[in-house]
Amino acid sequence: MSRQTPDLVLSTPPFLRQGQTTPWIMRQVLGALVPVLVMAWVHFGLSALLVTAAATAGCLATEWLFDPRRPRGRSLRDLSAVVTGCLLGLVLPPGFPLWMAFLGGGAAIGMGKVLWGGLGQNPFNPALLGRAFLQAAFPAAITTWSPQGTGLFSLHGTNLALPFLQGTPVDAMSAATPLARMKFQSQVTDLFPLAVGDVGGSLGETCGVVILLAGLYLAARRIFDWRIPVSILASTAVLSAVFHLIDGARFPPPLFMVFSGGLLLGAVFMATDPVSSPITPRGSWIFGAGVGGLVVLIRLFGGMPEGVMYAILLMNAATPLINRATQPRIYGT
Amino acid sequence: MGDLIWIFVAAMLVNNFTLAYFLGLCPFLGVSGRLDTALRLGLANIFVMVITSSCAWLLNTFVLPHAPYLRLIAFIIVVASTVQFVEMVIRKMSPALFRALGIFLPLITTNCAILGLALFQTNRGYDFLEGLVFALGAGGGLTLALVVMAGLREETRVLDIPKVVQGMALYMILAGILSMAFMGFAGLFSSGGS
Amino acid sequence: MPPPSKPLGDEFLKGLWKENPIFIQVLGMCPALAVTNSVVNALAMGLATCFVLVCSSFFVSSLRRFIPRPVRISTYIVIIATFVTLTDLVLAALVPDVHRALGAFIPLIVVNCLILGRQEAFASKNPVPRAVADAAGMGVGFAFALTCLGAIREILGAGTFLGVPLFGPHFEPWVIMLLPPGGFLSLGFLLLFFNALKQARDRRRAAAARGETA
Repeated sequence: MSRQTPDLVLSTPPFLRQGQTTPWIMRQVLGALVPVLVMAWVHFGLSALLVTAAATAGCLATEWLFDPRRPRGRSLRDLSAVVTGCLLGLVLPPGFPLWMAFLGGGAAIGMGKVLWGGLGQNPFNPALLGRAFLQAAFPAAITTWSPQGTGLFSLHGTNLALPFLQGTPVDAMSAATPLARMKFQSQVTDLFPLAVGDVGGSLGETCGVVILLAGLYLAARRIFDWRIPVSILASTAVLSAVFHLIDGARFPPPLFMVFSGGLLLGAVFMATDPVSSPITPRGSWIFGAGVGGLVVLIRLFGGMPEGVMYAILLMNAATPLINRATQPRIYGT
Repeated sequence: MGDLIWIFVAAMLVNNFTLAYFLGLCPFLGVSGRLDTALRLGLANIFVMVITSSCAWLLNTFVLPHAPYLRLIAFIIVVASTVQFVEMVIRKMSPALFRALGIFLPLITTNCAILGLALFQTNRGYDFLEGLVFALGAGGGLTLALVVMAGLREETRVLDIPKVVQGMALYMILAGILSMAFMGFAGLFSSGGS
Repeated sequence: MPPPSKPLGDEFLKGLWKENPIFIQVLGMCPALAVTNSVVNALAMGLATCFVLVCSSFFVSSLRRFIPRPVRISTYIVIIATFVTLTDLVLAALVPDVHRALGAFIPLIVVNCLILGRQEAFASKNPVPRAVADAAGMGVGFAFALTCLGAIREILGAGTFLGVPLFGPHFEPWVIMLLPPGGFLSLGFLLLFFNALKQARDRRRAAAARGETA
């Protein structure tokens, strides 16, 4: 635990929530994020790195300024703010103005972490809170998808918008995400480009294969509860298969649903946040199934093309209820 | 049928009374400390809302066309007295149900969610069945918000949250986060319904 | 805050800050959050509530010896509802745009806990001048808090104040501030800010006290 000052801390059980997060775990997660980040760089150019760096800077600055623990800055050493920043950066579009990414990092750490007393206490995933804040605050900027394959050193003009001002769209070309194309034009994208990431979308979400490999690595090192991603992907696949069988013309096939949008990234890196997901194995299954169900509901029947972020946040909100419902009964009560 | 489903989903999730319309905030912030209390309050709310919706429909159809300026006063008085009457009936018929829900009934009647329900129903011109479905959806949404909030608040008790944040500021920000998460339901079923 | 020269003024002043209905007592949240997405709406709602509060307090206080205790709440509500209906009709006639923007939230003033709370806690127990001073203070405090919230949300959410653009044409508005989550979050962070101020003041006072004794 990061609390190195030997203050006497009196609290009530469960004590287990402490000790679940260590710099070691964070380094493993960061290591797993590196290939995802590299793929984002390959696909979207320098913008990918800059947006991620801005989001991370926002996270670090907010934690340094507002974390109540002293001496100032000690809480940064556990690297969790860096993980949050990278995750937030990876779910933003490539042409996103850097000042907004910085602000999103502030919202993520401010609302998602510092407010609750720091690491290990947040009921919601901080990176997703930051993303949800940005989605509600700047709905236009966050759904402007720039095309990819423009070279390793390409930079989008909108990245460099001055703080509080709009980015002037120099590269007016936009590339709709596969999900948006599904929603608004009923076009299904082929599986191969989805799997290797040859599509429009947020920085880190396009390359499905790399995310899956990173997830396998983390699961093998027992960094997270494998039940959560497995149940999310399984429930999404099963539910969308049912709908696809009912009306194949209106509802997309299950593999498209699994590989498109942020589902893989969310299932592997966001939903598995050990603090904001249930503590019991049975709870993990329920949590994952809930996320999958909500994703299918929002994607197929909602007003927005993508719903992974909201699905995970909503299940985060339901986590205390799930914990309570799946708590092992004490004999005789 | 599609319309009814849409009214229900819209009232419960898309335009959740508490998280999108800010109605019923007093119980949402005040009585969400314990999960079982929150659940019972929510159920009592559904119950009163169904009564309110029926009363409002009766008033709108038979009485108020003759005196529209009495709408507000009529709603409040009729709803309050009907709920009082039902409370007495429940107390006689089923003491168990009364113990579970009854104590909340007088509290609820002067709640903005109840009056809001009647007013929205009137403004949107719902017929009797639509009004009932609207009441069930709105009450269900209120219960959902209350229960989720109570779960989170029970959880926060075991955290050492900074002292500056504790109390109303935390609940308000928590409500904001929930409201943000509920934005994911925007536009749900809207293409299938109206 | 000036020293309490006369009690009546004191009754008025306490509502402005020390017992501010929104910031300190956290009452009457529905209108405070629902209609504060622009300064105009917030101001209109604040003034309407203030008007209803003062009139109701005047009546309840003057009738306080005649209202039977068992039916007092219903009586208060009928009095309040009368003034709300009046306000509703007057606003519809004078400023139809604002009236449309506020919608169902004007009739909902009836169930504002602040108004009923003042009747029960103050107006029904105090003579008319005192009750009116208290109601006016609370009402002005309420309107002030609403306007503050409205200003924050309009400036950030639309880049305007009272509809006048502040930052030039390239300003990127924070749409969230106009949406429901923005209401909750603005008030939440304002309360947080006041908490922090209070904590800092307490700490300073404690330090000063220690310094004196030492």
